[in-house]
Amino acid sequence: MNPAQRLTHLFAVALTLGTLMLIAAGGLVTSTESGLSVPDWPLSYGQFFPPMVGGVRFEHSHRMIAGAIGVLTLVLAALVHRSEQRRWIRALSLAACVLVLVQAVLGGLTVIHLLPLAISVTHACVAQSFLCVIASIALTTSNEWRVSSPTPVTGASALGRLELITLFFVFAQLVAGALLRHRPNSRPDAHIILGALIVLHALLVWIKTVRVPHWTKLRVHGAMLVTLVLGQVALGIASLVLTRSASRIEGLPSTAEVLTTTAHQTLGAAILMTMVLLYLRSRRFYREAPAA
Amino acid sequence: MICSWNRATLTALLLTLFATQAQAASVSGSASFQGQAPAAEPIKMEADPSCKALHADGIAADDVIVNANGTLKNVFVYVKEGLSGKYEAPKTPVTLDQKGCMYTPKVLGVMAGQPIEIINSDSTLHNVHALPKNSPQFNLGMPLQGMKIKKTLAKPEVMVKVKCDVHPWMASYIGVLDHPFYAVTGEDGSFEIKDLPAGTYVIEAWHEKYGTQTQSITIDDSGKSDVAFQFGV
Ligand SMILES: [Cu+2]
Repeated sequence: MNPAQRLTHLFAVALTLGTLMLIAAGGLVTSTESGLSVPDWPLSYGQFFPPMVGGVRFEHSHRMIAGAIGVLTLVLAALVHRSEQRRWIRALSLAACVLVLVQAVLGGLTVIHLLPLAISVTHACVAQSFLCVIASIALTTSNEWRVSSPTPVTGASALGRLELITLFFVFAQLVAGALLRHRPNSRPDAHIILGALIVLHALLVWIKTVRVPHWTKLRVHGAMLVTLVLGQVALGIASLVLTRSASRIEGLPSTAEVLTTTAHQTLGAAILMTMVLLYLRSRRFYREAPAA
Repeated sequence: MICSWNRATLTALLLTLFATQAQAASVSGSASFQGQAPAAEPIKMEADPSCKALHADGIAADDVIVNANGTLKNVFVYVKEGLSGKYEAPKTPVTLDQKGCMYTPKVLGVMAGQPIEIINSDSTLHNVHALPKNSPQFNLGMPLQGMKIKKTLAKPEVMVKVKCDVHPWMASYIGVLDHPFYAVTGEDGSFEIKDLPAGTYVIEAWHEKYGTQTQSITIDDSGKSDVAFQFGV
């Protein structure tokens, strides 16, 4: 790994963390219900820096952090093009640029059209897809990725399938969660069922990584997935209780509710990213052994 | 020719007289409040220091205001059923002011298509976010003190909520009607709807927290009808 490649990798790691922060900032906007506190876009009350009061504090902070992440995404693409020969990583960095642009436009559209459900939910899904792309660049530019090559192991394909199914459920959960957040009084049934399915599948993935002796590289990753998922269940229950309490329905969200629902949404993003990275690492380290 | 002109004049004269007669009725009454008035929650305005500075002694939530005489303020009373005529919306605007980071008035009536002049009397910014279901929604930024915007709500609807997303405690309700027969209870809880034609009507009273109530009344040409609404637990 030459210095340029190391820089690209570190930059991608930092951008991953920055994107998680951006997702939390976006979550705060939804949780505090301040998405429409700035009615215009791309300017805010016709200015670059409106007074930071009330709901504007959340909405405008989100816009500024998003602007910074947008610029840094362009920088990452430049770094990738300077240091990377692998064409698909270059393509990923360009995809990130497209996604961040689409995301900005969706953010603007949802404000201008007063938070239509479809646009708000798409904004949530593109946010986390973008996070996964940046995290994948961070992973594939790492030294671990460079020096590894797939070892033949029996059951590698089965593990990959299980991970893909889990990943599908986690993404579906993102959609279900976003729908719930943007339609606060709708029924949470689908979200709860998907939650149960994800707990089950995360446990299965983890058990597999522990049971198969060769899969040492995935054990910590699998355990992390399970830990995050269980923490997410706790936050999810707390979110449901807080958002549906009698005093809440008519009143304003409490600080406890804002923090809980934002944490729940951000942890959801972290789980999706963990799952994508786990799948990619499994495929990198292991491949199905040919039948004896 | 002369004869027919005379007849027309006479008819017009009679019609005018009849019309004057017919519009003389009125409905008045009050919205009383039963039971213990809920303790008014103080509004926390820390999120915007310029709002907080305007209320040195604090300010209480304005969703339920029980008057000193045991009546309920901000009840929107209007003729819900029984009218048949067509009524032109006035050109004069009604005012909705943002003052002290609160809406004044809290509850108001307007005719569909009548201009609503929205004013920002504060030194801070507000967004005016109207959430009608029958008319197009709007969300406007009012960053400057003294700024005025005129908007209309096209279709009748009771009530249209207006809120500010900068200051989430700010909420106002507009009753939009296709006739001018409405009133809002004030400091003494009373209301009066004047110049109604004689007829049988359903009168509805709406309150933000206590919902709606209806009563049927019949009034003759010059009659007065008294309606008492009772809100509370
Ligand atoms: Cu405001």
